[in-house]
Amino acid sequence: MTRPRAGRPRAGRSLRTTVIGVGLTALMLFPVYWMINVSLTPQQDMRKSPPDLFPLHPTFTGYQAVLRDQLPYLATSLLIGVSTVVVTLVLSAPAAYALAKLRPRGSGFLGLSLLIAQMVPGIVMAMGFYGIFLNLGIMHTWWGLVIADSTLAVPFGVMIFTAFMSGIPDELTAAATVDGAGAWRTFWSVVLPVSRNAVVTVSLFSFLWAWSDFVFANTLDSGGDLQPITLGIYRYIGNNNQEWNSIMATAVVASIPAAVLLVLAQRYVAAGVTAGAVKD
Amino acid sequence: MTLAHTDRPPRSPAAFRATHRTRGPQAAVRCRRRRTQLTAWAFVAPLVAYLAAFYLYPLYRNLDLSLRHYTVRSFVDGNAPFSGWANFSQVLHDPTFWPALTNTAVFTVASLAFQYTIGLALAVFFNRRFRLAGILRALFLIPWLLPLIVSSSTWAWMLNSESGIVNHTLNLVGIAPVDWLTSPRWALTSVIIANIWIGVPFNLVVLYSGLQNVPAELYEAASLDGAGAWQQFRRITFPLLRPVSAITLLLGLVYTLKVFDLIWIMTRGGPGNSSSTLATWSYRLGFGTLLPQFGPGAAVGNILILIALLFGLLYIRIQRRQEA
Amino acid sequence: MRQTRRTAIATVLLTATALASATACSSGSTAQGSSDQGTFTFWDPYPQFDASSDWGKRVASCGTPAGVTVKRTALDTTDLGNKALLAAQQGDSPDVMLVDNPVVSTLVEAGILTKMSDLGVDTSSVQQNIIGAGTIDGAAYGLPIGANTLALYYNKSVLDAAGVDPASVTNWDSLNAALAKVKAAGKKGITFSAIGTEEGSFQFLPWFWGAGGDLTHLNGSGGVDALSLWKGWVADGYAPNDVLSNTQTTSWQEFATGQYAFGENGTWQLANAAKAGFPYGVITIPAKDGGPAPAPTGGEFVTVPVQKDTARYAVTKQIVSCLTNAANLLGTDTALSYIAPTQAVQAQQTRADSALTPWVSAVAAARGRTSNGLGVKYPVISQQMWTAVQGALSGSQGPQAALAAAQNAAANHQG
Repeated sequence: MTRPRAGRPRAGRSLRTTVIGVGLTALMLFPVYWMINVSLTPQQDMRKSPPDLFPLHPTFTGYQAVLRDQLPYLATSLLIGVSTVVVTLVLSAPAAYALAKLRPRGSGFLGLSLLIAQMVPGIVMAMGFYGIFLNLGIMHTWWGLVIADSTLAVPFGVMIFTAFMSGIPDELTAAATVDGAGAWRTFWSVVLPVSRNAVVTVSLFSFLWAWSDFVFANTLDSGGDLQPITLGIYRYIGNNNQEWNSIMATAVVASIPAAVLLVLAQRYVAAGVTAGAVKD
Repeated sequence: MTLAHTDRPPRSPAAFRATHRTRGPQAAVRCRRRRTQLTAWAFVAPLVAYLAAFYLYPLYRNLDLSLRHYTVRSFVDGNAPFSGWANFSQVLHDPTFWPALTNTAVFTVASLAFQYTIGLALAVFFNRRFRLAGILRALFLIPWLLPLIVSSSTWAWMLNSESGIVNHTLNLVGIAPVDWLTSPRWALTSVIIANIWIGVPFNLVVLYSGLQNVPAELYEAASLDGAGAWQQFRRITFPLLRPVSAITLLLGLVYTLKVFDLIWIMTRGGPGNSSSTLATWSYRLGFGTLLPQFGPGAAVGNILILIALLFGLLYIRIQRRQEA
Repeated sequence: MRQTRRTAIATVLLTATALASATACSSGSTAQGSSDQGTFTFWDPYPQFDASSDWGKRVASCGTPAGVTVKRTALDTTDLGNKALLAAQQGDSPDVMLVDNPVVSTLVEAGILTKMSDLGVDTSSVQQNIIGAGTIDGAAYGLPIGANTLALYYNKSVLDAAGVDPASVTNWDSLNAALAKVKAAGKKGITFSAIGTEEGSFQFLPWFWGAGGDLTHLNGSGGVDALSLWKGWVADGYAPNDVLSNTQTTSWQEFATGQYAFGENGTWQLANAAKAGFPYGVITIPAKDGGPAPAPTGGEFVTVPVQKDTARYAVTKQIVSCLTNAANLLGTDTALSYIAPTQAVQAQQTRADSALTPWVSAVAAARGRTSNGLGVKYPVISQQMWTAVQGALSGSQGPQAALAAAQNAAANHQG
């Protein structure tokens, strides 16, 4: 059903599918549109009833404020997001390979621990880190925040990688072993390339989690020189007042570079199909 | 890790036999097994150290908080007396407990069911080759780029009973306005809707990557056999996607149990307790008032961990049975 | 593999330190603190002001006379109290901390604030009812940087169209009559915030106190009258249903649409009111039987967390005095749209802007939420109070039953 029949894809059908796809995406992104709409709505019209479907009298004060204030925060967020991806991949992919293919004793227990690890509420994790970071002297550093943010993604990464790698046929790794490859080489040159989809998936989510983290940033980096965008937004949330134009505008501006990254990454997922992972 | 691997894609009987034949005498097997064990642990060791370094202490803290009688003063000076199960018994007898538990169950089950179904449908849809598919799929992830305070506030905005776009639209088609966030009847439904929206991209991405590993030849063969689209989905897609589905649902369960910011921003768990879940309640006890009650807050948090643990064990059990 | 081994060693080291910190923490003897002698740390809940703002410069300049650097960190206001507790637990409290006034009693209960008298800071010039929120057992634990309170903003155009004279609104009956006229004229009556957080309690208190309500007996007749008043407004369509989810900001946005006759809001909206695009005015919130109702005081206190190194207090005192001297108070309170806590500076404020006069009298009539010995009992009572308000306004309970349940729960908790 889902696969195109071998041979010529029918142009008319593909067009219809595209139209449906655009429609579904539009529906999904309606709240995002609404956010953009609010970001352009003057204060006195924000609670207008009925609301304006389009920003007829747009105000750009929010965007002016954002472009003036927020660019350094944006750069920090990108730095933290990408670094978190690296840390997450380095820690989770090799471990998952072992769990999926080498099956060490006690792996069931480890799996359960990973599950529980993800259940600890973020704020409790943050409180724990506060003490640890203070003692290590890595409070208010961007890379300290990377370590903290990676805890959001590492258990996820291990579980996703394990699920995907256990689907790789044993013959594939066995063949490598027969060729005299050690475990590390098997992992590096056979298993990892074949797990490209999992790599992209894990990277995407570790990036997104680091990108949108607020609790860790607030607890561990609120006095730092480099702060992420989630803290930058708080410039518009005073003790008595919230400037919604600027808050929404920050979200809009901040999502653009990240969205570009996502589109590029998605290209890789599509390319991953041709890797022909599961042929024997 | 047994948590994640279930049935592997079918392999040819010949290959299966071949692997079996390579096994040597018992001693050699034992030796090789030991060596594999060592290699395996070398791969896993960084992860184990990492988990120990970063999760053990917070977990210990959470447990400790829930087993002591903490006041704000003893939180600071560290002299809270051990109080056993007192915090747990306090929260279990609190009138908020049962509403919060049932709300958690409804919130989790409804969110998971819809997120998974919609996510799977979209994954299958995007698995067709069509123009713009890649870009559209990427656009689906945009909700994840927004800080939760923004996306949740936008939903609260849209669902506002006086000036929200949703009620305005309902009005246009002749439906009376609904007090989405401010009536006890609708508040939980509203936060579930918003949470489904937030969760769909996750399900879509993971399930879609799972689909990429389903060999195309299977579909070709099935279609030669004259199997229709639904049959292909039921016979091939769904069964082969099971390990990924299982892990998606399990992770989804964990994440959904934990959700608090979304509900907190949209309704503060209210009105009354009508949209309070265990997670929001735990947050409110520990951090949501001027006088934090760390002990009971941590106790509720630990009850949540226990629930997740039970589901984790259940999952392993099902896996084992399937493998056997 | 070597790579892996190195990571392993590093992580093992981290584990060790983590465990060390765990034990250090439970014995409460972590020593780091504000170790640098030349740098003094300062926390406030004003993330809206960056280093280049007047406030940021003022804070920085207050280190100069003592020859030290003041390092300022701005935190989200709802997080500041918890972060203060956490920092104190780890022995890392800032030297000076600006906190919302009802938080002061919680921090005093935690034992992490220094008395102003121990520092040698004079508090006598501050208005009694304003410093009340930071006074526990007769000792002041902070200096207010400014005060705000609630009043009723009204939209002149809407009232004119409905034929209502704002001066006629002097008690609840005349307010209800005005609301009825406004509704008859096709406009909306009043908006406020009844959200299930401290903000909701803050907004409810003028009505609660204005009917003679007593926080230690939530279900007394005054409390029931006040809650019935609010419930009546929502039921009769004088107030929108979304007050239940309104924060004070979203409630202000509703008022700013120009459709509402009245909006209950704070001193800090004055600057926004000027931008609203319609003529507005302010009246004090009427008590049930006439006269101004006591509204709660809002605003932040300058506090000094306990330090291990007591030698730091001498400089800290200079910083505190600098922040609260008359010139700085005037600048700060003008920027925040607050009323100064001392009469001398209030006089300067009204001289500069006569529109502040009703607010000065409103602040003079206001009451601290944690005052009168309530202290840390207030947070518990407040939580039950907003729960009752939510229950009654959403229709799941009657006002009487909701408040009775609230009183019961609050009493249980204290007992």
